[in-house]
Amino acid sequence: MVEIALGTALAAIGAGVAIGFAGLGSGLGQGMAAAGSVGAVAEDNDMFARGIIFSALPETQAIYGFLIAILLLVFSGLLGGGSGLSTTAGIVAIGVGASIGFAGLGSGMGQGIAAASSVGAIVEDTDMFARGIIFSALPETQAIYGFLIAILLMVFGGILA
Amino acid sequence: MADEIATIISSLGLSNEAFLAIVLLAFVVIGAIIVIVASRPILDIYPYLQPNARVRARKGRLFDEKQISELVDANNVDDVTNYLRGSPDYAEHLDEYPLEKALDVQLGETYDMVARLAPSSVQSSFKVLAKQSDIDNIKSLLIAKEAGLDKEATEELLIPAGSLYEDISRLSDAETVTDVVAGLDGTEYAPVLEEVIPQYENTGMVLPFESALNKYYLEKLLKSTESPADENTQILYSYIGNQVDVANIKLILRAKADGLDYDAISPYMISNGYQLREWKLKDLMESQDVTGVISSLEGTKYADVLTELLPEYNETGSVAIFEKALDKFLVDSAKSASMKKPIGIGPIIGYLSQKEVEIRNLKVIARAKREADFPVSRLREMLV
Repeated sequence: MVEIALGTALAAIGAGVAIGFAGLGSGLGQGMAAAGSVGAVAEDNDMFARGIIFSALPETQAIYGFLIAILLLVFSGLLGGGSGLSTTAGIVAIGVGASIGFAGLGSGMGQGIAAASSVGAIVEDTDMFARGIIFSALPETQAIYGFLIAILLMVFGGILA
Repeated sequence: MADEIATIISSLGLSNEAFLAIVLLAFVVIGAIIVIVASRPILDIYPYLQPNARVRARKGRLFDEKQISELVDANNVDDVTNYLRGSPDYAEHLDEYPLEKALDVQLGETYDMVARLAPSSVQSSFKVLAKQSDIDNIKSLLIAKEAGLDKEATEELLIPAGSLYEDISRLSDAETVTDVVAGLDGTEYAPVLEEVIPQYENTGMVLPFESALNKYYLEKLLKSTESPADENTQILYSYIGNQVDVANIKLILRAKADGLDYDAISPYMISNGYQLREWKLKDLMESQDVTGVISSLEGTKYADVLTELLPEYNETGSVAIFEKALDKFLVDSAKSASMKKPIGIGPIIGYLSQKEVEIRNLKVIARAKREADFPVSRLREMLV
């Protein structure tokens, strides 16, 4: 059996939280945006491309979570066979995962709701496209904050050092 | 730091694995709580996302003020028909039916479409709304038979929409009104109509059938929404409740204008409205005249709409001004309801209401354009 240090194991939890919750938010958001888009396309075939754009918007949260999870796995030694993390750094890694995980969850859900509404507005009035994109992009900021804090935690928490 | 944490862990008598398991468990519990709390609003929103996109797409195809204005300025009814051929919603029916019938078919299809799309929590109400086509067809059938129209002439009056169209259409060769009622046996409307056969036989008029059908429809509509479970159903209840109250007020106003008393009006009333409960309706029906009805409405939102029209009524003696104001009230309240829940029932109510207004306006325009030299200014006044 492979021996894993406690810090590395905690980092693995952090990686799971990062992609798990960010992916959950992204999935819910994308599901909502896609449900609205399908309705729009059913009425107007020209909405397909715009529907895809809005359905793809909530994908970013999962990408942030995925990136952070990969970084945690690499720098904790789980991938690439490094030296492993201290227990303290492992606890920091959980904070890293929670940061992007929960931020991604809220951001993804919010973006999904905004995107679904925007699709509805655009299918009613095509001039709403640019404004719909702006409103749908707003909930992205929470995921960016979470991503930034996750990076800062990794840098100053001794994981990326 | 690490040593301190390790000391704390060991002082608690936990192994590294046990500590890890506790941390993991804590995350699972916290995560589950967050997911449950965060998912609740999503569960409310999710069923409306696809229906809303579909009705909003159709809402975008409704005529705007400029287009209605162009129709008002059309030279004749053929111009109106040609203009409507440019709209995909009307074009397919205009190739098959005369203008007014095509408009009715479109409205019937709209009710059916909304009833199909609506989320299950509110679907029953929209299914009742879709019965409007069947009820209109039964009324047309009864009127046709009362007037002694033959099969072909009767069929022309029927709108090919609604779940009972085939059955109703088969009755177009019935000889008499009572044959029609007998032919509807097995449908939900049979008991309603059979109950008023004695009144029909006494008066020789189909009005009791029409009133009974109206009453049945509105009562069923109100009943379908009277136990609102959430904000969406609450908004729907208010939208439908307003329609029931307005129907009651219109009936009372017209009856009072004709000098009818409580006993004559009460059989046709929906006994327990939305804002106008039984006791209030009794007050209204016992009023001496139209002015008394308006005074008795004081304290309700309907009084605000009607009171200011009293001087005009006193001049003209026509209750049509009240009816028009009440129609406008319904449109405005539907518009207000549609904005309360933009990712919920709002867009569905907004679309349905605007579609009804559009069809009503198009019918008014069509009728006006059939008459030579009908004044455009008068036509504009008649639009909702």
